[in-house]
Amino acid sequence: MSRRILTVDDSPSMRMLLRAALTEQGFTVFEAEDGVDALEKLETATPDLVITDINMPRMDGFELIEALRTGDVQAGLPILVLTTEASDEKKARARSAGATGWIVKPFDREKLGAAIRRVLH
Amino acid sequence: MSMMSPIAPPLMRRLTVAQGDSIVSGDPDVEFTTVLGSCVAVCLHDGRAGVGGMNHFLLAEPAPIANEDARLLNRYGVHSMELLINAMLKQGAIRQNLKARIYGGATMRQGLGEIGNSNIQFARRFLTNENIAILGENVGGVSARRVEFRPAAGLSRCKTVSTQPVEQIIIKSPPVSGDVELF
Repeated sequence: MSRRILTVDDSPSMRMLLRAALTEQGFTVFEAEDGVDALEKLETATPDLVITDINMPRMDGFELIEALRTGDVQAGLPILVLTTEASDEKKARARSAGATGWIVKPFDREKLGAAIRRVLH
Repeated sequence: MSMMSPIAPPLMRRLTVAQGDSIVSGDPDVEFTTVLGSCVAVCLHDGRAGVGGMNHFLLAEPAPIANEDARLLNRYGVHSMELLINAMLKQGAIRQNLKARIYGGATMRQGLGEIGNSNIQFARRFLTNENIAILGENVGGVSARRVEFRPAAGLSRCKTVSTQPVEQIIIKSPPVSGDVELF
């Protein structure tokens, strides 16, 4: 059974690009457009991994990670941040909030797939 | 009769937007400029925030099987557009207020026609997907263009500069991209 990935990004184009890259590598993808939408989807859906952007309206990636780590949604769910941000300060904030990893856009399909497989195994 | 000299227009600080670049500013004394062949530049503006930005991308989207150095992906429109939009939001723009103009996408040489056209189609599709209104465009044809854009005011102008190729395809590598760090 293919592993399920929730992608969270406010850009439809980026979600489309991610979906193409991940389905091509055998993953099943479903999507949310920001943190609030992700939390709603996670009330019923059970992904194996979440990939989230940082800069999003309503609820950003940091707030989403904090909500996932302090809430009762699937303890231990891996969360990869995929962002244009590259600052050490923001990376440290994501790490302390409970992110599993940090990937800088623009992403390389194979590196992204390799990182996901490493986290999931 | 007064012999006073007419007041000279204020000097603008001109910044060149090179291939792969995305630049944003709210400074009223700044003007962005770029020269386009088959590349496309998108100018974004938020009139309420007084912030504008311009990018310049070489190719619309990665090939279906992208097995190349991620550092090169910045030339692709989808990444360039995201960098531009994020930079706009950081400077106070609001996504719903963004308005766009599209420039470039000329056919500069025989055989390169699809690149320019693909860039134009990509820009239109991307902006439509993102619900960003397209106020205007000056695209296609066979001539290079010089685009000037005042980001704070959102004023742009586009001139045909030549029918000769002006654009060398040079891939610039951004400093960081595609890096993976697992905690």
